[in-house]
Amino acid sequence: MASPDGKHCRSQTNGEAKPPDSKKQKITELITDDEIMSEFSHHDASVARINNGSFGACPQSVISAQQRWQLRFLRQPDSFYFNDLKPGILESREAIRSLISADDVSEVSIVDNATTAAAIVLQQMTWAFAEGRFEKGDVAVMLHYAYGAVKKSMEAYVTRAGGRVFEVQLPFPVSSNEEIITEFKLALERGKVKGQRIRLAVIDHVTSMPSVVIPVKELVKICREEGVDQVFVDAAHGIGCVDVDVKEIGADFYTSNLHKWFFCPPSAAFLYCRKSAKFSDLHHPVVSHEYGNGLAIESTWIGTRDYSSQLVVPSAVEFVNRFKGGIEGIKKRNHEVVVRMGEMLAESWGTSLGCPPDMCSSMIMVGLPSCLRITCERDTLKLRAHLRECYRVEVPIYYRSPKEGEIDPITGYARISHQVYNKLEDYERFRDAINKLVSDKFTCPSLSA
Amino acid sequence: MTPVSSRNPNHVPHILLMASTDAEQYHFGTNGEAKPPPPKKQKLCSFISESEIQSEFSHHDASVARINNGSFGCCPQSVISAQQQWQLRHLRQPDGFYFNDLRAGILESRKVICSLINADDVSEVSLVDNATTAAAIVLQQVAWAFSEGRFDKGDVAVMLHYAYGAVKKCVEAYVTRAGGRVIEVDLPFPVSSKEEIITEFKRSMERGKLNGQKIRLAVIDHITSMPSVVIPVKELVKICREEGVDQIFVDAAHGIGCVDVDMKEIGADFYTSNLHKWFFCPPSAAFLYCRKSAKFTDLHHPVVSHEYGKGLAIESAWIGTRDYSSLLVVPSIVEFLNRFEDGIEGIKKRNHEEVVKMGEMLAKSWGTHLGCPPDMCSSMVMVGLPSCLGIASDKDTLKLRAHLRNHFGVEVPVYYRAPKEGEVDPVTGYARISYQVYNKAEDYEKFRHVINKLVSDKFCCACLSV
Repeated sequence: MASPDGKHCRSQTNGEAKPPDSKKQKITELITDDEIMSEFSHHDASVARINNGSFGACPQSVISAQQRWQLRFLRQPDSFYFNDLKPGILESREAIRSLISADDVSEVSIVDNATTAAAIVLQQMTWAFAEGRFEKGDVAVMLHYAYGAVKKSMEAYVTRAGGRVFEVQLPFPVSSNEEIITEFKLALERGKVKGQRIRLAVIDHVTSMPSVVIPVKELVKICREEGVDQVFVDAAHGIGCVDVDVKEIGADFYTSNLHKWFFCPPSAAFLYCRKSAKFSDLHHPVVSHEYGNGLAIESTWIGTRDYSSQLVVPSAVEFVNRFKGGIEGIKKRNHEVVVRMGEMLAESWGTSLGCPPDMCSSMIMVGLPSCLRITCERDTLKLRAHLRECYRVEVPIYYRSPKEGEIDPITGYARISHQVYNKLEDYERFRDAINKLVSDKFTCPSLSA
Repeated sequence: MTPVSSRNPNHVPHILLMASTDAEQYHFGTNGEAKPPPPKKQKLCSFISESEIQSEFSHHDASVARINNGSFGCCPQSVISAQQQWQLRHLRQPDGFYFNDLRAGILESRKVICSLINADDVSEVSLVDNATTAAAIVLQQVAWAFSEGRFDKGDVAVMLHYAYGAVKKCVEAYVTRAGGRVIEVDLPFPVSSKEEIITEFKRSMERGKLNGQKIRLAVIDHITSMPSVVIPVKELVKICREEGVDQIFVDAAHGIGCVDVDMKEIGADFYTSNLHKWFFCPPSAAFLYCRKSAKFTDLHHPVVSHEYGKGLAIESAWIGTRDYSSLLVVPSIVEFLNRFEDGIEGIKKRNHEEVVKMGEMLAKSWGTHLGCPPDMCSSMVMVGLPSCLGIASDKDTLKLRAHLRNHFGVEVPVYYRAPKEGEVDPVTGYARISYQVYNKAEDYEKFRHVINKLVSDKFCCACLSV
């Protein structure tokens, strides 16, 4: 295993040590609960940390592996650059390729985060408009619940370049895949209304807020049937959270963060680009001397920086393999427990979940009691800060504006996450905190601005 | 803390409040969150000692004569420790870190830089990963200007022939591709005076305006990378203004800590410098200065986040989840610098003096010469290598460099200078030696000795395998 004491390092002929290889291991013993708590002992123990979805988590073994890479660079950066960096990145890319069932490692680029991946995909759209391959008014489609940064990226690269952007309105709470599929089909019809081409569809695999698992495979199929040029799946919450088989899903571009649910340190993500003569023109926006050698190679060198978070993917694989069923087992158990916790909370508060269990992943939206009077997005931030400061509970909150005619609607949903370090007490503390707020007749308007 | 051994036995050691390696230095905010200590102005009774300096860089591979600070820079242990404290804060409670600590920390770093570089306003200072990123930001904006019709196809961008490889590619990716015409300023090397550079630059301005087209952008290195020469940027910026160049971008990857960096003095529209090369930041960090001007409000970070549209400095402060710790330690670096006599100015001056001395020592031993006069070099100098080594191409320089690293434990980049017609027995290879506070005379003596050995062994590059 990755060892903090350096004993497993081996020397090459020029005396340079390499961090230990990732090995396929014969696991005779699975990681124990104590070991798990130890791996995450750097977490603030006073906080009920039920928000893995926002920033993820990184176990101590992977942090140690990262520090060994960082030290290698600091010790002799030139040698690191000439001898270690490229093979290390290639090894990480190969590990990802295997995890996501991509055909070829050339289809896998490692970038900082899904936000960067979106900029890469969308910048290529800008050139297509500027160079006349797309026409002004051609359409890009995205979900209304697309992540804020991605919406801004669409504005910065598509709208600005002359494209027209359509948002797919999705219901929330939602009760079935069919509701989503119906709305999506409707949006594609709208897109083609003036005879313009739909050049791009951006589809979340798991929306951020509110968090729902989107039936991407079906939506990609619809896009193909409707002749959409490019399909980009934004799976910021993908790997380690939902099943990621890029051939199954069939998109042209697929990105997922590795630091959210795959135990990498901040930050790392992959961008998969299906081998296709049509879209060979993606570039990293930070141009280095590798420009023109293909996105994967361009992304391996974007100037001097700390690449260590991208180099520890094999160490993250070693870590997940200490769990029963590896990442599949972790995913399955996270899902089961988060659903159970969500149901426990909803029952205690007399509210409901935002979607059925089969439409959630390792996160679930739990309705908050309407008497808390969450009336706008600002209230959600104030309540979140209040929970953090006064109850030591970390959980993001979503504001859902009531529809006309709704009586006593639930306007606030907490997005709870479950990851391997979480315990029942985390959710019990949250349950009790909300019940106390209710019994104290707390309301959001009573919080200072 | 390491015991202080002082050159002056009469020194009374003074316990310095260093960048926080010690948890007791933390103070706690009202919500129980710990903050690293703010930077303090220090009353110093004694400066950092030689052995403390060696201790700060004890993580360097001691078997290597590391005379290439210019490529990747270096970072002292105190700053690494400060960085790890920031990293731990994120890992410990990332939401608390994001909402309470990150922005304030970035703003503090930006303020420090603003003051160091004599900028007018902190809004002019953005923090980015490196100069390569800064170039992409400036040049992407040029691409938009072409595609949105503010610039005409064929309008010109000027850059130095010795511009950094990544910047040349960036100009290709964003300017040539968008319809701009690129003119390179040929500069002589070896070079003997600023006037040679100024003359060539003026000539290129003329070429640029030939067909009545406008020169929209000039990209000027403050210190070229390979070969390394200090460019008279102030004079060149003045020429650009006289010639009506729209935008002037100074690429000072080697800027801060290596040359004098005064934004108002230099007068460019955009100026970028790495902080990890000569300013002791961990990898990696850089600033991009953008002069407040109604003309150029349209710079954006290419990685678009929810901060899009709030100005480059704010956009750059959040480009998605990542490790911002290298941007947050700038105040800790200032603490480190203040342990040296005259701070960064003193370091700069001493580095320059030493590297010239070492360069002259090497040139004398090898019977070669320096690539430029001392007043045109910074903390780096180009030293001619004996021509009998047979450096005949760029490939040879890489082979020789690897040979020096693998067999002799010397790390130094080598530059190939193609001979001009008629030159007799020309020097075709130059080593770019750097000097930083951790270097010692032995590093350069080792290099001197190794080259002399290669010469006496009748070594030549052609005999190295591919």
